Amino acid sequence: MSPTLTRLLIRLYPRPWRNRYAAEFAALLETWPSTPRTTLNIISSALHERISPTQGGPMTPSPITLGAITRKPSAYLPIALSLLALTVVLTAVTLNGGPVREADEGSAAHIWQILMALQAPILLIFAIKWLHRAPRRAAQVLALQATAVAANLAAVFFLT
Amino acid sequence: MRTTQNVATQKDGHYSDPPLLVLASLASGPKHGHAMIEDIATLSGTHLGPGTLYGAIARLEQQGWIEPLPQEDRRQPYRITPSGLAVLKAKLTTLHHFAQAGLRRLESQ
Repeated sequence: MSPTLTRLLIRLYPRPWRNRYAAEFAALLETWPSTPRTTLNIISSALHERISPTQGGPMTPSPITLGAITRKPSAYLPIALSLLALTVVLTAVTLNGGPVREADEGSAAHIWQILMALQAPILLIFAIKWLHRAPRRAAQVLALQATAVAANLAAVFFLT
Repeated sequence: MRTTQNVATQKDGHYSDPPLLVLASLASGPKHGHAMIEDIATLSGTHLGPGTLYGAIARLEQQGWIEPLPQEDRRQPYRITPSGLAVLKAKLTTLHHFAQAGLRRLESQ
């Protein structure tokens, strides 16, 4: 593999990883045949390292990464439910050909309410479980969950 | 070390769990990257890519299951640690029991 391509690929990794492994990884790649498969392998590994970093160097205790925490059901379920609820709203609006103004709540509204209500206990469990263990990461996930809820409320407010 | 996500077999039947393969390779002595890849290919038929190899190395080092030795030229050898050996033994034992149970079921059919 050419030194230029090697340098470019290594730059895809986060800096802490590069500080620890770049030299030896470059030595390995210099003797490695350059193929699209190898390039893809390095790109995907670099992305994985960015999502779930090992940090490299003198290894610190295993951190709770954003990637790891978002894989917890209590983190992704509320977001998935919010997206589903948003889909229900948008579908109802699309089928009605515009903003829905009904005195009597239809089935779409009931489904939306159930989907939003289901999130509350899961959000509570997430907050209790993770806010003290990984405050920053948990706050990031909560912000994402809040954004999803806000998107739903905005859709209901403006479109119905 | 990842568990079930990694413990998968490729469609050609080769075993593919990079951290476990690296540990198994280092069980026979310290090796640098290229030597590990060749040894793993011989051991399991799996050809690890360089990114996959270093992903496994970084995570194993983080867990304290392997450690670097002084560099040879620009190559970096690694060796398995006592805790790495214990983990390897436990995982291989589990796999052995699983394989035996699975084969018994196949034979009984």
